[in-house]
Amino acid sequence: MSIKLTTQAYCKMLLHAAKYPHCAVNGLLVAEKQKEKKKDSHSTPILCVDCIPLFHGTLALAPMLEVALTLIDTWCKENKYVIAGYYQANERTKDFRPNQFAEKVGARIAENFSEAAMIMVDSTRFTMGCYEPILTIYDHHENKWKCRDCNADCFEDWCEAQKITSALLEGRSYESLIDFDNHLDDLRNDWTNPEINKSVLHLC
Amino acid sequence: MFDYCRACRLMVTCGDTTRCSKGSAETNHTQFNDVKPVLPRAMASVSEMYDVTWEEMRDKLRKWREDNHRNSEQIVDVGEELINEHASKLGDDIWIIYEQVMIAALDCSRDDLAWTCLQELKRQFPGSQRVKRLAGMRLEALEKYEDASKQYDSILQDDPTNTAARKRKISILKAQGKSAEAIRELNEYLEQFVGDQEAWHELSELYINEHDYGKAAFCLEELMMTNPHNHLYCEQYAEVKYTQGGLENLELSRKYFAQALKLNNRNMRALFGLYMSASHIAACPKVNATVKKANVKYAAWATNQINRAYQLAGRGTKENKCSVKAVEEMLESMQITMS
Repeated sequence: MSIKLTTQAYCKMLLHAAKYPHCAVNGLLVAEKQKEKKKDSHSTPILCVDCIPLFHGTLALAPMLEVALTLIDTWCKENKYVIAGYYQANERTKDFRPNQFAEKVGARIAENFSEAAMIMVDSTRFTMGCYEPILTIYDHHENKWKCRDCNADCFEDWCEAQKITSALLEGRSYESLIDFDNHLDDLRNDWTNPEINKSVLHLC
Repeated sequence: MFDYCRACRLMVTCGDTTRCSKGSAETNHTQFNDVKPVLPRAMASVSEMYDVTWEEMRDKLRKWREDNHRNSEQIVDVGEELINEHASKLGDDIWIIYEQVMIAALDCSRDDLAWTCLQELKRQFPGSQRVKRLAGMRLEALEKYEDASKQYDSILQDDPTNTAARKRKISILKAQGKSAEAIRELNEYLEQFVGDQEAWHELSELYINEHDYGKAAFCLEELMMTNPHNHLYCEQYAEVKYTQGGLENLELSRKYFAQALKLNNRNMRALFGLYMSASHIAACPKVNATVKKANVKYAAWATNQINRAYQLAGRGTKENKCSVKAVEEMLESMQITMS
């Protein structure tokens, strides 16, 4: 029932928030598609291997979100991924609770993937050193979102995630991060962020 | 230990001998061992790193000023160096650069730099309302909202028509999360200053965040009336109508996406929006056969244009081919659900 994050997924989420500190940002998390449904599948956590940054600024408009969800869903199918989560960082630093919009998108994702998670980024604890995980994870239970504490257990390897995210922030890698909004501004911008993925791999 | 290569900015571990993509074929990554030790803040100077002259830096700042770019980190990098190394050459330009750099510094929590710029401006323009407003903005950045508000009130006492001070007061409400009050004050402001486009746009955003799409649409209508050639307002209006939902709003959204495309045929959001709205209308059970047929045609045209745009963009890059394929498949799958 619980999700875990890889370094790459956590990194790109934080880089996205760092690139647009004055805006709300949101995006999707993808996990590898499970080959078979085991009876005790709820005991093995879902591993979110990648993150797709979507928009910055005004988030609450439908058409581009629908395009992004459909396009990324198609891309997922090709790469044997599944959309497993949604993250959002609000415009105001002190505002780290999910709003109506986040809940709606989360619910939509949960329709296709029952163990979907909604993640809110807590910008008040956002530092260059990344000493602690700054996420709050919400799981979908009976049409409500329940908050779960985020600690080192929620990561595939927290030490690695902390080190690499901090290094990329210092190196200002977020300047080259591409989100779906950037892609719509210029189609040549690649929202899979291969260069940043390479940097993360380099540091592992 | 690792550091970033000065040329390509990839992180590399010490002693890494892989080739650098930015340097010539013969060079390895430029590691910190190759570079002279530098003081913490300094880094390589902007002019050294990018091989630019101070005139080019000044012109870049001007361009960012004119385009109203909020690339604060870059402005601080370039502006700080310009101020520290080339102040004497800038002439009267320096004052507006101080203002630009100060605001960018506030964005980057560089209070030291912001303070320096503010002092220079205070010295040169004592008693200026414009400088007072900058002092207020600094207080806002330090979250001293009461003091900032008092600062703006004192400006308004001397000059009740000072729009900048009034708008800063509204920004304070926004920063404190008091959206309802911010909306109320902004509406009052716009009753007096009907032509302030920046304010209408801000109000539309506030309404969108409150999910009051009807009122957001009204604000965008005002903007479209005064800026009939602006494709961005058209396209945003269409997005708001689409989000409102319902057949009538969908048809309106399709019309305005089409209008945005007429004004700028490279607006991808408008193109996608046209496709989505036409597809939804065609799929709606309430429409008659003629309307359905027309919208299927519009959607098909949009599909064509979208595919063409992706083909054009994907030319030459291996990675982008996956995007092209994904888009083609997505459009195909939606066609099936539509018919």
